[in-house]
Amino acid sequence: MDLSKTYDAVIVGSGAAGGMAAHVLTAHGMQVLLLEAGKRLPIEQELRSMEWPYDHPRRGDAPPGSHAVSFNEYTVRRPPYAKASAFRHVYSYVGGWGGSDYVKNILVDEKDHPYTGTRYAWVRARALGGKTNIWGRLALRLSDYDFKAKSHDGYGEDWPITYADLAPYYEKVDLYLGISGVKENLPHLPDSLFQRPTKLNAAEVRLRERLAGMGRVLTPYRAGVTTDGVKHNKYRTKCFGRGACGRRPGGCDIHAAFDSPTGLIYPAMDTGRLTLRTNSTAYEVLVDRNSGRARGVAFLDSETRQSYEANAKVVILAASTLESARLLLLSRSRQYPNGIGNSSGHVGHNFCEHVMGPGVTGLVKELVGKPHTLDDGRPGGFYVPRFRNLKDRQPGFIRGYGFEGSSGHSMFPAHTMETPGFGAQFKKTIRDYAGAFISMGAFGEVLPRYESHVDLDPVEQDRWGIPVLRFHYQFGDNERKMAEDMVTTAREMFEAAGIEVIGVDRDILTEGWSIHELGTARMGGDPKTSVLNQFQQSHDVRNLFVVDGSSHVSASCQNPTWTIMALAWRSCDYLADEFRKGNL
Amino acid sequence: MTDAPKPLESLSRRDMIAATAAALVTPLLPAAPVIAQRPARFLTPAEFALLDELTELIIPTDEHSPGARAAGVAAYIDGRLGESLEPEWQARWRTGLRTVEGLSRELHGKGFLEGTADQRLAVLTRMAAGELDPKTPVERFFRELKWWTVSGYYTSKIGIHMDQEYKGNVYQQGDYAGFDAK
Repeated sequence: MDLSKTYDAVIVGSGAAGGMAAHVLTAHGMQVLLLEAGKRLPIEQELRSMEWPYDHPRRGDAPPGSHAVSFNEYTVRRPPYAKASAFRHVYSYVGGWGGSDYVKNILVDEKDHPYTGTRYAWVRARALGGKTNIWGRLALRLSDYDFKAKSHDGYGEDWPITYADLAPYYEKVDLYLGISGVKENLPHLPDSLFQRPTKLNAAEVRLRERLAGMGRVLTPYRAGVTTDGVKHNKYRTKCFGRGACGRRPGGCDIHAAFDSPTGLIYPAMDTGRLTLRTNSTAYEVLVDRNSGRARGVAFLDSETRQSYEANAKVVILAASTLESARLLLLSRSRQYPNGIGNSSGHVGHNFCEHVMGPGVTGLVKELVGKPHTLDDGRPGGFYVPRFRNLKDRQPGFIRGYGFEGSSGHSMFPAHTMETPGFGAQFKKTIRDYAGAFISMGAFGEVLPRYESHVDLDPVEQDRWGIPVLRFHYQFGDNERKMAEDMVTTAREMFEAAGIEVIGVDRDILTEGWSIHELGTARMGGDPKTSVLNQFQQSHDVRNLFVVDGSSHVSASCQNPTWTIMALAWRSCDYLADEFRKGNL
Repeated sequence: MTDAPKPLESLSRRDMIAATAAALVTPLLPAAPVIAQRPARFLTPAEFALLDELTELIIPTDEHSPGARAAGVAAYIDGRLGESLEPEWQARWRTGLRTVEGLSRELHGKGFLEGTADQRLAVLTRMAAGELDPKTPVERFFRELKWWTVSGYYTSKIGIHMDQEYKGNVYQQGDYAGFDAK
């Protein structure tokens, strides 16, 4: 790669947002440099999606010396969680899921990447494609219930866009990447342009029918997975229902599930206009002293630690909600003493995400003892969209939540350790009951609050000597009241469907658990109270864009990836147009 | 060399079991020297024999499918213990197995493997008594023993294919499982 030349644009980060920026800008003819802090992994070899557990020496577990931070550790300790750990490698809780050996090179080692402050389960992936290599695949749209939430209940800020502004870009994302689902005609969860949906099993059909009678919906998992194929993309194939994504922390070695490298970056490279540099840890947005404009990005080679500068006419941050905020705060200069793009003082603030933990497990007695069927050959189970605070007004909390759930047979039988006893009867019970369980857990909207924020720790540094983030973030009363309601409604839905509730989770999981962090550089019309305009363009520096989840004004309760990509596409269309006109 | 071939006379019962299990789970592979295929070891032959019996009592062979012994669960656990870098975890197993022996002597005046089938069952029943809220060392060890037996068995070839008759992890041709959402 050539660092003496000035690129049209440099992008920091190669996940959903950075990949989309690379795709859109190269399609517009721009010369783009993409920097990724992690490696380009031989991802198919990493994932080995079809490997049987017994063909792996540790049944998929990571090698000795690895440790994943447990819920208990997150609860009783404070970050940095790997400090003074005797283990060779420490991973976030995702590294404790079955199949940890397949993601050990995708997740960051907490020892190299500390952070401080309040408790937070921060899951990060430094590799080409970032977290899209292992994401949960639930691909949902937001609606004006989200974009105009303040107008609805008076809290926070409205987004500077409406659903009508974004709908055409959701459609572009649907068509370019492929999405599976069923149309439900819900105003609060707009339909996508769906490919073949995955099916429901017997327990889910029953719950769907009963929920319809309650005015609620159970719909097959809306998966960011191509089930019919995307013929314009030679790197991906359609889903063959192998169920590989559900048995592991995620990942798809045939790339039916969207990931940024095969879905966006490799096709962008095929245009001849994208230069990729992995192992490039960005640590500062460079500023032209005379004009105050961004002139490029300073980065370290992640291996050699040698420092470089990449020059570009436009700088685009897509390093993730928290890493992009960190980068803005790190970019202090004479012109921007509080960090670039931070004249409002809002960078790092209004941090929000999803609260999760509450859920139920139920038993469908009629399914006990039935022959074992293939139930997990699909990218996900089901989704129950939000039903709270749409037309009603809950007394205890504002905003809403949805449920993700699954049921039926899987490779590893359900409920084994909750089934007491041993011996022939135990073995038969496990076998007879394996397909009779159904469970679901909620994802709720966390309110953005100015005081919920991250800043730079004055002392602690990461392995590369870069100051780390310090968290000032805790769930509040609205989240706690909402969590109580999640338990109540989950129970009532199962009971209405004649499903025996055999397990209830009431505990809220540690902040960060949803891996849906959002809102540290929010968009808005007022430069005094927002960081970016509606095109994710810095109010202060017009050739600086932040196209990831940090721009979101509120969290919604719908999973953010599809919205991140639709917004990035819209902003990059605008960016390319402005670039052509010479306005950047 | 930790994996250097051992003299033939050191082939114990556990080696035979491991060899049998290996033969069961890899029927299509050409026969390889049994000793070279043995996993890393932590347990003594006596400890291994005890563990092997305990796993089989937890998930026994029945008319439907072979149990934990045939699935090589004890060898799997011993392999994990052998390569572990956590001395505390290793020690917990050694202590736990000793506690089982102690409980057997306390109840029946003899070691676990010397007891009758009924006596073994009585020991395990006592161990499992506080399963959902373990308090004593032997009850806590039962939780760990059961988890590793369960996880070893249901990730084995026998557990996945013969016991659970798992249908997935295949390329489906379009006859996808389930019902349409209507």
